[in-house]
Amino acid sequence: MLKIKNLHAKVGDNEILNGLNLEVKPGELHAIMGPNGSGKSTLAAVLAGREAYEVTDGMVELDGTDLLDLEASDRAREGVFLAFQYPIEIPGVSNLNFMKAAVNAKRAHQGQPPIKAKDFLAKVKECSSLVELDGKLRDRSVNEGFSGGEKKRNEIFQMAILEPKLCVLDETDSGLDIDALRVVSKGVNAMRSKDRAFIVITHYQRLLDHIIPDFVHVLSNGRIVKSGGKELALELEDKGYDWIKEEQNA
Amino acid sequence: MTVLTDIFKSTLPPPTRKSERWKYSPISKLLNSTLSTDSSEIDGGFSNEIAPNPVEGLEAYRLVFRNGKFNHSLSDLPIAKGVICMPQSEVSGEDVPEFKNTYSKTEWVGELNESYHQDGLFLKIDRNIKLDRPVLIHHLTDGKDVASFPRHFVRVEEGGEVDVVVWSSSTKNSSGMYNGILEASIAPNATLTLEKVCNEDGKIYHFSHENIIQERDSKFKMHTFTVKGHWVRNELEIISRGKGTDSIFNGAFLPTGNEHVDNHTTMDHTSTDGTSSELYRGIMYGTSTGVFNGKVFVRPDAQRTNAFQQNTNIVADRGASINAKPELEIYADDVKCSHGCTVGQFDLDALFYLKSRGIDEKAAKALLVEAFLADVISSVPCTELREEIMKIYKERHGW
Repeated sequence: MLKIKNLHAKVGDNEILNGLNLEVKPGELHAIMGPNGSGKSTLAAVLAGREAYEVTDGMVELDGTDLLDLEASDRAREGVFLAFQYPIEIPGVSNLNFMKAAVNAKRAHQGQPPIKAKDFLAKVKECSSLVELDGKLRDRSVNEGFSGGEKKRNEIFQMAILEPKLCVLDETDSGLDIDALRVVSKGVNAMRSKDRAFIVITHYQRLLDHIIPDFVHVLSNGRIVKSGGKELALELEDKGYDWIKEEQNA
Repeated sequence: MTVLTDIFKSTLPPPTRKSERWKYSPISKLLNSTLSTDSSEIDGGFSNEIAPNPVEGLEAYRLVFRNGKFNHSLSDLPIAKGVICMPQSEVSGEDVPEFKNTYSKTEWVGELNESYHQDGLFLKIDRNIKLDRPVLIHHLTDGKDVASFPRHFVRVEEGGEVDVVVWSSSTKNSSGMYNGILEASIAPNATLTLEKVCNEDGKIYHFSHENIIQERDSKFKMHTFTVKGHWVRNELEIISRGKGTDSIFNGAFLPTGNEHVDNHTTMDHTSTDGTSSELYRGIMYGTSTGVFNGKVFVRPDAQRTNAFQQNTNIVADRGASINAKPELEIYADDVKCSHGCTVGQFDLDALFYLKSRGIDEKAAKALLVEAFLADVISSVPCTELREEIMKIYKERHGW
């Protein structure tokens, strides 16, 4: 589904990604771990199409479509979803109007008519119960005055509404208490299917107790330096990253 | 047509950039033109371009003016007990209004209006009378180098209530000057709501001045929307003369191309326990220029005043600009006053967030603009008016 080859990217003059390769097949869930500054969030931002990041080399394909050629909004319509590490507050734009606009933008892209109000509300009801998002939060301005946990649940709520092909979760576990972590994980697990793939960026193994990955990759200096199964996360939790760095230097 | 050859030879000199009040709104181009007042027959038709009722579906009493002249056949005046609502040209005897504001003595624009003033609204609401519908004044400018000088007079007696809409429009090929004054006084416990909308095609220099006197416990609420206009100067002066007055005045302006919009407001608290709340929001597109100047005076006797002012601006395009200046002068010591003034750009993080959900840049900006304007627009009491203003903004900016 997703093919990343030799990806190089920079912000300003800082080279952050240095030849990253990754292939993700439908149904798979890949966890990406790595020390601070290794390029995890940059990878997420580059996949979603953030303009401040400049891709200098390499390619990214989603089901044969060159993603790097597309605007952020077109990538989303093609089925890429980024759950933000720090979701943005947008006063005055209601969460529901926002989602309706997003759903209809995607439908228009697929040549479908706008969603019927009744169908949309049914969908909202279903998806908000998935992440236990309170009706009041749903109806308020986007993320305005939400707690850290509420913002992250709102990200998963949006993901459920938009039914993307590829979900990229950027440190969705940061700032979550144990209960919220469970709720968010439950939402993610409910969305796992044979046609949908996930890239889950995290610092902590504890998220991977709830969301079991098929693969774990370690990112260091802008490339994947080690890959393994879910047991690699446990090993990292236990030993830290130094042994990988030593392995590389050896 | 009466050509006003001496139009600019007034006692008071025309403002120049040296005057602080006019520094950012030069009028030299206007001074180089030759203007005339329209002397054609009254009731001589209106326009094919613009409907006499500019707000679809709005049920309102209506006074229609074309180039400053009242048009009877297109107007619809209320017949209600305790309400006098008619063009000033038809007022006689002791009812003839006496304009008390000193604008004609202090400003060139005001002096012109006094020298050449034409017709206007005369509205008097008696004690405890509440008019059932808004009174809409529609002023059309139609023609080349036309000057119009409307004057409107509103008096709301004790406990009375009325909503007035002042809408100005012009046809595409029109040019000239609109110089309008509205004077209103609001008696104790009375309420006046005023909406001023400028939606002018063509190249009109639009000067409007509202002078509002508030007596004890009266309420005044106003919205100023510059929807479209080549060169627009909105001046609002509110004087609170009794205790416990409440004044709310909000505005929105979204100039584009090389349009110019200037909002000058003055809130003068002279008595105790008054509250005022001001919110102006602007978005400058293209190479447009904007001005905001908001003065708030709290005089020595105006203890326990609560005054709030906010002005937020977005400069959307390179080449556009705004000069914004809040001015607070507080001479009383037991007051709550706050003001905030910002000039910024579209929030790029918010824009990316919206785009990352599949909403394209244009639609994302439209959502942000709508949110930005919501606080100003949502406080307009009349739904049809609110919707019409939003509709025009949307059409203009292609949201």
